[in-house]
Amino acid sequence: MAIVAETTKFSKFAWPILAWGVALIFFFPIFWMVLTSFKTDADAVKPEFLLWFTPTLENYANMTDNYDYWRFATNSIITSVSATLLTLIVGVPCAYAMAFDPSRGTKDILMWMLSTKMLPAAAVLYPMIFLAKGLGIYDTHFLVIMVLCLINLPIVIWMLFTYFKDIPKDIIEAGKMDGLNTWGEVREILIPLAWGGIASTALLAFIFCWNEAYWTVRLTTIDAATLSKLIEGNRAPEGLFFGRLSAVSTAAVGPIVILGWFCQKQLVQGLTFGAVK
Amino acid sequence: MANRTIPRLLQTPAVLLLLVWMLVPLGMTLFFSFIRYVLNNLRRPEWTSPSIENWRGFGNYKFVWNQDGFWLAIQNSLLIVCSILFLTVILGVLIAVLVNRSFPGRGIVRVLLISPFFVMPAVNAVLWINMILDPVLGLQGIAVGGINEVIAGLRNAPLIGGFFSLWPELNPISFRATQTSAYAVIMMVTWQWTPFAVLIFMTSLQSEDQQQKEAAILDGAGRWSQFRFLTLPHLGRPIAIVVMIQAIFHLSLYAEIEIVSRGNGNKNLPYFIGELANNNIGAASATGIFAVILANIVAIFLLRMVGKTLME
Repeated sequence: MAIVAETTKFSKFAWPILAWGVALIFFFPIFWMVLTSFKTDADAVKPEFLLWFTPTLENYANMTDNYDYWRFATNSIITSVSATLLTLIVGVPCAYAMAFDPSRGTKDILMWMLSTKMLPAAAVLYPMIFLAKGLGIYDTHFLVIMVLCLINLPIVIWMLFTYFKDIPKDIIEAGKMDGLNTWGEVREILIPLAWGGIASTALLAFIFCWNEAYWTVRLTTIDAATLSKLIEGNRAPEGLFFGRLSAVSTAAVGPIVILGWFCQKQLVQGLTFGAVK
Repeated sequence: MANRTIPRLLQTPAVLLLLVWMLVPLGMTLFFSFIRYVLNNLRRPEWTSPSIENWRGFGNYKFVWNQDGFWLAIQNSLLIVCSILFLTVILGVLIAVLVNRSFPGRGIVRVLLISPFFVMPAVNAVLWINMILDPVLGLQGIAVGGINEVIAGLRNAPLIGGFFSLWPELNPISFRATQTSAYAVIMMVTWQWTPFAVLIFMTSLQSEDQQQKEAAILDGAGRWSQFRFLTLPHLGRPIAIVVMIQAIFHLSLYAEIEIVSRGNGNKNLPYFIGELANNNIGAASATGIFAVILANIVAIFLLRMVGKTLME
């Protein structure tokens, strides 16, 4: 018994310290970015101001002058919000039909949808540019919204499907007995019951849209360029602008990281397609 | 039969959209991969528009196959993907076991741990390559400079000075160089995706059979054998899923490669395609088809695995 007691004592102190240490190491780069964003560009590269410095908000105040931040941020907001809504409008009915009226083909359709997600984007890069330019929609919000919708649609349908599957079918049947039509079922039964699931799916889809960095960079130049493009365009400041670059980076990822904290659990379901519970 | 109409109708928009998304661009890539198609060619202007008359058969495929750059890109893709997988799975399991206990502040620890996953890839790369890894102005440069200064100070100290004068001056590593840029990418992506692995393993650990574990403890199983014979087998499936999902994501890494060194030393397949697509569309498309084949090899395994649990 002595050994057991010793291990408990050890784990009582060492375990939390170790866990906290690891968590702080992983969080450190983000902390460092936020900290640097409050330094002037000159202070940011001086070792003597590593931790003790006079904090300044000038990097945030000058974000619009330095980087035209709000134009890119507005584009990010417009495209991510619209794409999320569009994905839900297309995805909810589809997942609803699959969960409550599955046919023999449903499983295959779901698998096939997932497989579209595995198509390497680079393989269809040029055709997309070719089509977009041919149709005159290159560098427009419409194009970015469509592409974001398409790349997230499989994940959204999968997530919604795993949520809807857990709703007892009897409730829908009862609704049918009461004379509800399909739209009535969705509005009166499905949405109230699966509200949480739909909301977290939307949140996750929004985060993926916001962080998307391949298509949004490759299919835009100026008019529809998002924050990913802004950051990538300023990739090599050669150490001169660490302060202002940190500020604009913090502004670009801060809201999303905080939103992400609220949908950790859904992330697991969404990204493993319900295979890990 | 009539009651099947509505469900079909509800699925139609999603299916149609994805069908078009999958077939049209991929069909075009397939077509372009069999023709001579370049964006600029003064000598042969007829090659600058896609036409069936410029049929080249498997010529583009042969051209790409014989390029050193193509094999280097595959090699880099595999090096980057495999290293990230190896690191994230090991770190992920260790950290998941570490945080799976109850201790003060566990909620905050979880929040801190998951945060890197939500950072946008472009910011991740800019942050790491500049603020952290820069050999002069980043934390790496500052740390190396600091250590050198301390050692220089110790050299003048009595008694131990002789020992420290044998120490060489440390040189910071430039992570934009050809030899090291792949490691910079591996480092930053591992930082971003380890939280994902942790999250999934943690979720899975919570469904671990506690009674079985208690029985094992009563039988005198130590901590290591509990981990080895109960926890690890339980994590087998999640590990497989984490490996495959990450493989699919990381085979198409792009922003990090671009930001770290513009493909110098870490050029992977998507980056190679992107470069070819600046002019030689035929070759870019053929490479794209190779990338599709590579991704499919991974995808088949994932789909099998996910498919099993689908209708449970």
